[in-house]
Amino acid sequence: MKTSRFAITTAVLLGAAQGALAQEPVSWWYELATPEQQKLIQQHIIEPFNKANADYALTVDYRGSELDKQLRVAMLSGNGPDVVYTAGPSYVAPMAQSGQLLALDDYATKFKWQERILPVFLKMGEYNGKLYALPKTYETVGLFYNKTLFEKNSWQAPKTLDELEKVADSMLEAGVTPFAAGNADWRGANEWFVTLALNAVAGPDNVNKALRGELPWTSEPFVQSIDRLNGWWKKGYFGKNYFSLTSAEQTADMMASGRAGMMPTGTWQFQNVASYSKKAGSEAGFVGFPSASGDPVFPLGIGSTFSIASRTKNPDGAAAVINYVFSPEVYGSMNSAWQGEWNIPLKDLSSVQMGSDVTPLFTETMKNLSSAVSAGNYGYTTWTFLPPATDSYLINGIEEVWLGKISTADFLTKLDASFQKELKAKKVPAIPAR
Amino acid sequence: MHRLYVLPTLIINVAIIAIPALVTVMLAFFEWDGISDPLFVGLDNFRALWDDSVFWTALTNNIIWTVIFLIVPIAMGLLAATMMLVARRSSSFFQVIYFLPVIIATAITGRVWQGMIYSPVTGVTGLLQRYGMDIANPLTETSTALYGIAVVDLWHWWGFLCVIFFAALRQVPSEQIEAARVEGASFFQTMRYVLLPGIMPTITLMMIMTVIWSFLVFDFVYILTQGGPAYSSEVLSTFAYRSAFYDLAVGKAAAISVVISLFGLAATVLYIRVQAKEFDQ
Repeated sequence: MKTSRFAITTAVLLGAAQGALAQEPVSWWYELATPEQQKLIQQHIIEPFNKANADYALTVDYRGSELDKQLRVAMLSGNGPDVVYTAGPSYVAPMAQSGQLLALDDYATKFKWQERILPVFLKMGEYNGKLYALPKTYETVGLFYNKTLFEKNSWQAPKTLDELEKVADSMLEAGVTPFAAGNADWRGANEWFVTLALNAVAGPDNVNKALRGELPWTSEPFVQSIDRLNGWWKKGYFGKNYFSLTSAEQTADMMASGRAGMMPTGTWQFQNVASYSKKAGSEAGFVGFPSASGDPVFPLGIGSTFSIASRTKNPDGAAAVINYVFSPEVYGSMNSAWQGEWNIPLKDLSSVQMGSDVTPLFTETMKNLSSAVSAGNYGYTTWTFLPPATDSYLINGIEEVWLGKISTADFLTKLDASFQKELKAKKVPAIPAR
Repeated sequence: MHRLYVLPTLIINVAIIAIPALVTVMLAFFEWDGISDPLFVGLDNFRALWDDSVFWTALTNNIIWTVIFLIVPIAMGLLAATMMLVARRSSSFFQVIYFLPVIIATAITGRVWQGMIYSPVTGVTGLLQRYGMDIANPLTETSTALYGIAVVDLWHWWGFLCVIFFAALRQVPSEQIEAARVEGASFFQTMRYVLLPGIMPTITLMMIMTVIWSFLVFDFVYILTQGGPAYSSEVLSTFAYRSAFYDLAVGKAAAISVVISLFGLAATVLYIRVQAKEFDQ
């Protein structure tokens, strides 16, 4: 009896070990994620993927906020993960240029990505005519506002820039800070406002021309954009604690509690807005950012991208993982639980099932954004379309304009010089045609 | 055979100090984004630094920082150490209290000051504002940001110097102090003619190390302001970090690091000469 039990146990263990050996490992380094968020990835991606793909064993390694630096060093030494998760398209170009990434065109054909993914995003992942990256999520920056406060004061959600300034001036008179905004935790928040000013004042067409190198950043439309943004700063729209407030929670709290009336920020803020509005007993609204013409502006942004390392031993497994992420199931489960961070650019959302606790405001905004992108009616976020050094200067240089250390002309001259240098070095990400 | 004992240390030093240092110096003459192939550009990175106003702001801030740290914490440390020498009964207790901030991780100290002291929402500044006092967060003004950070680092640092100076003061021969008392020397005379000369090598070492450390300052600046607002608190190390990891200009970052090293090298040469002089005496 004992002998037969031992034989069965040994056979089971050997079988299991052989099964495990037969599985090819696929590694993916992820950025910062809280334990709750890691649990979501485990439940909604890793476990179902491994169950559905018996040949592969996916593991996700959480590298924190230093992922980008670690990834670059690892890729240089040829030791990176199979699935390369970058901070955005501007990081893809130099990696593709130096042969660290695998072209995804064959997988695009195999998995029919052209039919399933919004074409503009496939274009953005191209380098020298080949596909190297797929964006994980897309986002936009717009205008959240405290609907309860607006109704109480008979204010209307602004559609034009003049209306925006009129409402903001009324708020200043009423002792309410017009914009809930801060950069104490993330200086990159500065560029959300520059992005809005460039797209709302100069317009997406001019930004597109500048990104292609057909119009210098020193030209009049951009001077007007920065001057107008600076005017808002000087009038006090951003409040007196901009450099002390955190960009996510404290600003959401400020708007929900009515200490601020509006919050120009991205769709990633939906979750904070929902929880702080609930806490304060107020209702929030969201509109596309006002423009000179009155048509809402939806600057398009990409949070991060997926690629495959050229030195991977398991390219098929890595492609299978990326393909799995681009499914209605992952969109529904992840975007419901982690709103705004998993807005995967799928063409057809009809089979997506969102969670019951997702606010209609979020679902509606994402639908509007998807329609705007499909119709080619979108703007450009600086963190997605500007090359690294130009973007870094934009973030820091705008503070010099706000604080009166340099003029708009000086700022744009330096920005343009940096951009032209990077354009020449082919560091500018692919710009889809309008 | 006994020379082989040096080998492990030599290997470690070559691997983790000499080679990276040499590579950094070499990279200062290249344009490199950290990903593609480096391109030799000669002295271009140094020329670009010369023309960059942010570089001069950062260098000036490092010099201001060095002056502050050569005076304030050393004076505070000396004063407190002398007080502990006079009132020995509670000296152990005060040593622990003064030393406590040194052992707290800099990230925690930075966040505590940022959130509990300086923040107008959750900190003491906000509380004072609510009582009608017109006090701004020093980290948000271009004229005060660097000093706001320096206060945090001073709070964190001066206790270390105090404990070092106290240990040195205790090594001064008691006969000399006793003789000064018998001769009728006042407290300040004892300090001036007995105690300070007795611990001068320690003070010199600490001052030279302060110069080196001041040009390496990074953590508190990065945690509290990331060099802002508008580059007002930028120092050379944060400038190098931003150049390497945000601008993807590794060559420029290496050139900045070479400049930082030059200041450290000057301080080290000075220290070696001072030490050599002491041996001669």
